[in-house]
Amino acid sequence: MPEFTGGAIGGDLLAAVPFGDIVNYITPLTASLFVVALLFTVFAIISRPEKQLDIVFGTEAIYTKEVTPDELRFRRFMAVACGIATMGAMVSGDIFNFTLFVSLIGITIIGIVAAVKNQHVLNAAFQYGIVAMTATVPLFAGAAITLATTGTLSIWELSAGAGVPLIAKLLLLLGVMGEGIAPFYAAKTELFRAPGAPYVILIHVSSLLMFLRVVEILLAV
Amino acid sequence: MIHEYTIGLAVAFTGIAVAFLALARERDDLHRLLLTDLAEILSLAVIALVGTDLAEALILPGLVVGISELMALSEIYLKKEKLYDEPKERVHFEVMDTAPGILAAALVVYGLVLSGFSGGVVAGLGVVFWFLCKGHREQFELLETVSGYAWAAWIGAFLVFMFLPQYWFFAVMIAGSAVLVKVMTKMSLLGTMRGGQNA
Repeated sequence: MPEFTGGAIGGDLLAAVPFGDIVNYITPLTASLFVVALLFTVFAIISRPEKQLDIVFGTEAIYTKEVTPDELRFRRFMAVACGIATMGAMVSGDIFNFTLFVSLIGITIIGIVAAVKNQHVLNAAFQYGIVAMTATVPLFAGAAITLATTGTLSIWELSAGAGVPLIAKLLLLLGVMGEGIAPFYAAKTELFRAPGAPYVILIHVSSLLMFLRVVEILLAV
Repeated sequence: MIHEYTIGLAVAFTGIAVAFLALARERDDLHRLLLTDLAEILSLAVIALVGTDLAEALILPGLVVGISELMALSEIYLKKEKLYDEPKERVHFEVMDTAPGILAAALVVYGLVLSGFSGGVVAGLGVVFWFLCKGHREQFELLETVSGYAWAAWIGAFLVFMFLPQYWFFAVMIAGSAVLVKVMTKMSLLGTMRGGQNA
């Protein structure tokens, strides 16, 4: 097994769990990302959903958006699933597993708001889902090209200087962008119309964390 | 001479470019949903181009992710467009009253002969056909249970591989039949998808 050389970005190696040539490793960076994901998952489990208030303009009427127990249960489950997928993506030592976890985050993000009966939210979730689904194409393509050119998917092995082609890195980055972050913010802001604060926050946290992780991976390989 | 992999990659990426172009031009939501599936299949093609055993192992999770995203999005589409109502008058031919038993049995038996993954698909088709013709009310939970047991048997077989390698043939048999049942139940879930409270 080659020496670990990805430490320049993530800090010193704290622990490594080898499964054949796939090594799940923990550095201060991935450890702290993992802890943040864990923390927010715990928040999602223990907290109660907020109730948004809508004020009708020009009157004194105020609507409260209720979250029914059924909806609550489903959304909490999806939020926890999203947290677990994020934690998996944070410590995965295998590029393909990472892409799978990232696409799982994409699915669960849609799931968090799918039970909301609001036309705007459903529309946004659908559009976001289309983007997330097409984003799996560059994600998997990036992983597949990495495998074809270097013969391995292990980040540990790749960090020894296997020479991942630039196009594979770009595809991976593009895929992660599609699954969760910046350019598609418009759709995501609409998702936030869904009531229930701790759950929608997980949408944000997971995409931020996976962006941080993909930067670490791209700099390491 | 250009390497075969490069040619394959060029073809696949041309396909991806076409799919994405179509996605960008399409305005109808349902058609866009169908086009994303096209793009998804092309990503599987890119994985398949690697052409090793590992690629085969990677296609399966890729396919599962694709199908689950497609199913989730279809559910959202149904909700978004408020298409809750089950149709009262379904497609109905006389052959659907007489054939299911024989055809489903034949497909399931042939699936058992094939065994493993492809056998599961064939047997699953038989079960899909059965549910399509006979209705599906109570079978949903049964399918979930069967699928769960098949999964447990599959994991059990893997544990045998790891800890008692001398009984590998026994484990191969268990894993083969469990995968068959698992794929079969997955396929037949599609046969039960018609909206309603179970979907």
